[in-house]
Amino acid sequence: MGFLTLPTWFAKKPSAARPFKDRSQIRVGIPKVLNIWTTHQFWLGFLMSLGIASENIVFSSDTSEEQGREYGKGRGTVDCCYPVKCISGHYGELIFGLKKKIHILLSPMIHSLPSILHGHVVDTLTCTRVMAGPENIKAGYMKGRDVFNENGIAHVSPFVSLGDRHMVTEQLHSQLKDIFNLDLEETSRAVRDGFTALDAFTEKARNQSRGILDWCAQERKPCILVLARPYHMDTGIGHEIEGDLQAYGYPILWLQYLPGDEDLMKWLFEEDLDSGRIKSPFDIGDVWQSSYSSNTNEIMWGAKVAARCPWITAVVRLSSYECGMDQPTYTPAQKIVEATGTLFFKFGDLDSTKPAGSVRIRVETIVHYMARYSEEIIQRKLARLSPNCPVPRATA
Amino acid sequence: MGQGTQLPVVNHYTAYKAKPFTRAQRKDVTILYGGLTWKHERLIQGALRNLKYNAEPLPNIQREDLDAGKEMIDVGACSPTIFTTGNLVNFLKKEAAKHGKEEVNRKYVYVTAGACGPCRFGQYHESYSMALDGLGLRDFRMLLMAQDELDQGENGGSGLEVNMSLMLGLVWAALCADLLGDLEYLIRPYEVTPGQTEKVLKQSVEYLYELFLNRPSRGEKYGALAWHLTTNYFTKALREVRKMWDTIEVDRLRVKPKVKITGEFWLQTHEGDGNYNIKRWLEQENSEVIPPAVAVWFDYLMHPLIHRMEHRHAYARHPKAMQFTLKLAERLYAATYNRLRRALASLPNELPDQAELARLAEPFFHFELRGGEGHMLIGKALYVYHHKKAHMVCELSPYSCMPNTMSIGAMANVLGKYPDLLYAPIEVKGDSDVHALSRCQMILTEAKRRAQTEFDDALRSTGLTIDKIRQYEVEHPELRKATYRVPHQGRAGSAANYVLHLASARGLGK
Ligand code: SF4
Ligand code: SF4
Repeated sequence: MGFLTLPTWFAKKPSAARPFKDRSQIRVGIPKVLNIWTTHQFWLGFLMSLGIASENIVFSSDTSEEQGREYGKGRGTVDCCYPVKCISGHYGELIFGLKKKIHILLSPMIHSLPSILHGHVVDTLTCTRVMAGPENIKAGYMKGRDVFNENGIAHVSPFVSLGDRHMVTEQLHSQLKDIFNLDLEETSRAVRDGFTALDAFTEKARNQSRGILDWCAQERKPCILVLARPYHMDTGIGHEIEGDLQAYGYPILWLQYLPGDEDLMKWLFEEDLDSGRIKSPFDIGDVWQSSYSSNTNEIMWGAKVAARCPWITAVVRLSSYECGMDQPTYTPAQKIVEATGTLFFKFGDLDSTKPAGSVRIRVETIVHYMARYSEEIIQRKLARLSPNCPVPRATA
Repeated sequence: MGQGTQLPVVNHYTAYKAKPFTRAQRKDVTILYGGLTWKHERLIQGALRNLKYNAEPLPNIQREDLDAGKEMIDVGACSPTIFTTGNLVNFLKKEAAKHGKEEVNRKYVYVTAGACGPCRFGQYHESYSMALDGLGLRDFRMLLMAQDELDQGENGGSGLEVNMSLMLGLVWAALCADLLGDLEYLIRPYEVTPGQTEKVLKQSVEYLYELFLNRPSRGEKYGALAWHLTTNYFTKALREVRKMWDTIEVDRLRVKPKVKITGEFWLQTHEGDGNYNIKRWLEQENSEVIPPAVAVWFDYLMHPLIHRMEHRHAYARHPKAMQFTLKLAERLYAATYNRLRRALASLPNELPDQAELARLAEPFFHFELRGGEGHMLIGKALYVYHHKKAHMVCELSPYSCMPNTMSIGAMANVLGKYPDLLYAPIEVKGDSDVHALSRCQMILTEAKRRAQTEFDDALRSTGLTIDKIRQYEVEHPELRKATYRVPHQGRAGSAANYVLHLASARGLGK
């Protein structure tokens, strides 16, 4: 691939700079889309380890209609789910919309993901559209003229299996070595630093979620679990529906950062484990056999957690327009959640426009039901669980 | 757990788990399967019956299967999922109405692909099980065949023995059906007596069915492999088949555009309502179709690089030896296909080189991106374009297919670089044929024009005329035999190649 067409900055710093490999002036743009939402810390850690200044790592902004209109128009190549379709706007913003130009547009093709369910499921692959999205969007910027070339930007989209750590160094080295002038050793170090940053972030976020549950238990308050794909955190894709609910005082948990603490998990899944239905709290074999898609697996697992966790009294399921991966999970996920009387609300077919009116009405409905039934749901779910609750609770 | 008290289990939705299919039940149980063409399914039936299984393919997909499927599963599924679910549903419904649910549960097991593929391909069974729930047939047995194993239900089952003999039978059956399919599409557009190809095709399929039915047993392991790789049992039979095709007279001077079919695996393979019967429709529209071969798919899965990604969790103790074995397997596979092909006078298409497909697609689509046809969608389009094997590519994409939308998007870049590549991506919903076919029609018009120009050029450059060729054919009737092989002369159209061949090999013309 002709990624070497542009790196003019290398020309200015020839071999004399090599031992240092000074990359401090290289600006890298990353479209903040799809599974970047749960792996951004890896990319930051990786690039910074290579000597790229943090201020030179630019993420595109949240998705918005304006972004699409201004930068993505006419670049789409197919009709598909909104989270992929909107990437054109992110590319455009990074190419045309930044005051200080980027040199490299880094848009990884993420093949597999780190997952809390790793080792308990068949695989942790991304959706095929997530993997291949960059090839599709790139085409929109190259079909007539090579827009990257014209703007002095190198587009690079390494195929990377972040769920299979042993493969990452080799993958990134072979695909990025020319563009960043990498050797194997520093790639390996950068990959390690990337994962360290990602793991630290994920752990922190999970601890915060645990804090929320602790608070709920203490205060005898309910919370809401958002059952969605990571990119529904993007305000332009999830439309901040959870924010509207939070405004009513209900803490929000995101599936991606549910705490997986051993004490909590054992408590929630005690009977399932005892009865032999599952081998581990992270085993979803009882509800989902084809467990190779990372985010789908997590959705099924999240539904199971929500069904059991007393303080999660409502689940908000978000799903984008034409999402093929979500489709087979609609009924199973809902049935799992509702089995314990946990409230379930689905916002489907989300696309570029926030259906503000209907969202408002539904948010009011959710709030109404939560206010009315949460206490009862909490008690009912607690009654199913052993009294050895690992979360410190307020005494009645 | 330590409490001594029994906690209530959360009684929620559970995944479908098949009841076991045991060896003892084998003689009373019929294995159902589907998803390929009737030719493939009939030969597979022979291979299964050879191993003493009762086996029946599901009825061919009909338009009403779409409605039945939609009724049973969540909205938004891709059309292959809906069609195949509906197909199973309609069959089971009819059987249950006739014999009762108990009998259906006892009498049948359905074998389907599962747990293989990053899109819904590996999740079809989730939809099937939802449909089984809807039908009140939760106890109906559905077995999932992954690429290298079979889930036979609780406690293992073992009613279906997945051994070398079975797998080789299935693969050889698929290869032979592919070769027949190639012959069919190659010859039918040019047959002089309408319907003759169909008749000979049926005869050939039945002949080969018997061949598979009577396949000698050579053990369940490497003995079977060695025999399949070396025997002339199949090649001899295919030579007999070739003789049957000898009887068909063709008129090679019909100028027709050649259309290469690509697209999502199920949709491109299927022949019927599931894809608007598009291959037949194209023939009716006066073109010649290059059908997709299942064999190419096997080759793809065997390709070492793809295989490495698929099995990246499997720890290979000797990676180099593994690599070598895979390469060897790929070679043997291609050699086998070519041997079978040669027995049919090398008329069917050769397998494209997987490495070349990956190389051609590389600037546009990474070869490790799986799902749908992966990079092959682009690789095949460029392959036929560069090698002048077809005038146009008709790509069949299921409505709401995840991976195919990605490759189609990437095709925009390909078309930017090769603006004269005629490409018709057809989205198949299953119930909007007019729209889809008229889209195809537009590109086909240009393909027809090209085929005609190419033919006229061939006549002009050789100085031949149609009358002169006709005259020559009278003196050389072997030219009008369907099995006379016209080697590729660097033109896409069969008629143009024929003219150039007559000039170069027969010394006709200037
Ligand atoms: S998971 Fe759904 S929304 Fe996400 S990329 Fe795939 S199809 Fe699109
Ligand atoms: S490749 Fe497309 S059509 Fe085929 S199963 Fe997957 S999503 Fe459905």
